[in-house]
Amino acid sequence: MRWGMVIDLKRCIGCYGCQLSCKAENGTPPGVFFARVHKQEEGQYPTAQTTFLPVLCNHCDDPPCVDVCPTGASFVWEDDGIVDIDADKCVGCRSCMLACPYSQRFLNDEPRNYYGEQGATPYEEARVQRHQTGVVMKCNFCRDRVRNGQDPACVENCPTIARYFGDLDDPKSEVSRLIRERSGFPLHPEKGTNPNVYYLPA
Amino acid sequence: MTSTSSGRYEQLLKDYQTEYRPQREWSEGRGFYLIVGHFLVGVAAGAWLFGLFFQDLISLLAGFVLAGLGGLAHLANLARPERFILMMLRTATSWVSRGFWGLTLFLVGSVIYLPSLMFTDTFWQSDSVIASAGVAISIAGSIIMMAYMGFVYTASKAIPFWNSTLHPVLYISYALRGGAAAYLLSLAFQGEAVAGGSDILVFWIAVTATVIVLWLFEIQGALTSGEEAAVRSVHDILAGRLALYFYVGILLIGLFVPVFLMAGIIAPLSPTLFAIIGLSSVAGDFFMKFSSIKAGIFMPVRLQSGNTRRATRRRKI
Ligand code: SF4
Ligand code: SF4
Repeated sequence: MRWGMVIDLKRCIGCYGCQLSCKAENGTPPGVFFARVHKQEEGQYPTAQTTFLPVLCNHCDDPPCVDVCPTGASFVWEDDGIVDIDADKCVGCRSCMLACPYSQRFLNDEPRNYYGEQGATPYEEARVQRHQTGVVMKCNFCRDRVRNGQDPACVENCPTIARYFGDLDDPKSEVSRLIRERSGFPLHPEKGTNPNVYYLPA
Repeated sequence: MTSTSSGRYEQLLKDYQTEYRPQREWSEGRGFYLIVGHFLVGVAAGAWLFGLFFQDLISLLAGFVLAGLGGLAHLANLARPERFILMMLRTATSWVSRGFWGLTLFLVGSVIYLPSLMFTDTFWQSDSVIASAGVAISIAGSIIMMAYMGFVYTASKAIPFWNSTLHPVLYISYALRGGAAAYLLSLAFQGEAVAGGSDILVFWIAVTATVIVLWLFEIQGALTSGEEAAVRSVHDILAGRLALYFYVGILLIGLFVPVFLMAGIIAPLSPTLFAIIGLSSVAGDFFMKFSSIKAGIFMPVRLQSGNTRRATRRRKI
């Protein structure tokens, strides 16, 4: 079993729905983003175009972030290949942030809230403040949801059905089929990380 | 509770809007202590090896104290320093963990060896088995300390400028240059005759030449790597935000001043001159580490051209 994701760039309209639903699901503090959408502008007028690139942790098969971690806080779940962080073991050395070629790790360095002097909202008190500070955070494919048989929040909330989630070890799964049939590709394969997030051409 | 109006948050958001994002993790805020820590443990390891070679107690003591301070600086770099002991768990893959062991071995070895030199009647003799074991442990620790820093940077795949395989050799050379400078300072402190230091000056010149050659190779490697982030890092050092540190700190203070003084142009070599040469050399090393760490720029995450049409799968599905 190896969980993976496929993102169809042809379907993505850059609505940031994944980014917001991830924030809502995981209660990530300000400055921590498990899912983001990169906006890229290419070309020049009159042929300029904007492309959207949704990014998240690639749950790499050969994750440099895990290799450099001195404490074992960064680890791979043996049973499903998800790369995760044990916050209780993290010393906040930030080595993993500099090892991840995809910039998918964030330090929750101090308690923060979104509404300034107004203080933390009840939602923030309940969801954001449960995260430890002084530790690095990142996407874990909503592992709790997945173990309960649900899809990750970003997949479930994508209004254009641009995201697919499934088992890459199963050749019959939808993700495997899409990669095969539509020439799916990972980001920066030259870094040798063997990502488990694939993109379908726009 | 800090709100989102804190400067660091604003900076983070601004950084994420730029394509070429400078790394701040290991150079700003508590990250500055990592630069200090790497600088101190490098000089400490070099000073210790020179102290052993020349049987110079002051260099040995300097190495021990600097390593202790370097260890504290490493702790100050951690966001959760109270958990530091966990850092010994991952020596199989993590150079940070190996560096932690190197520093620990060094401190343990030097604590065993130093009393034999300082309190000869109270503890074991310097030629005893215990003292020899201390020396062996401390040498192992200092070699790991000298090497680990370079490997830590090389393993940082997100920063193309640091990915050079020459980095570890360069950091070992810095450590030896730092050790030579520390020994010069020790000679100056002891008012030693100039003759005693001329060998070390020759060594300093040789190791400095090695550093320069390695550094030029690194720059050339970065410029020809095909990584725009690495090219920008070089530009930042030579003609951008770090140019002042490069020209004044590294070239003027760290290279020209010592070479000028060594040539005996201003005054004949003397202990005072040794001290100035030693100090300017270590100051230059600090600026070198500071600028190369600060110059780190994250590789941008983007679709590469052709990516959208071509499958680049490596595994069979
Ligand atoms: S994307 Fe980055 S954080 Fe995620 S597994 Fe790969 S290297 Fe680690
Ligand atoms: S910051 Fe935490 S998770 Fe990252 S390498 Fe250090 S200890 Fe490991």
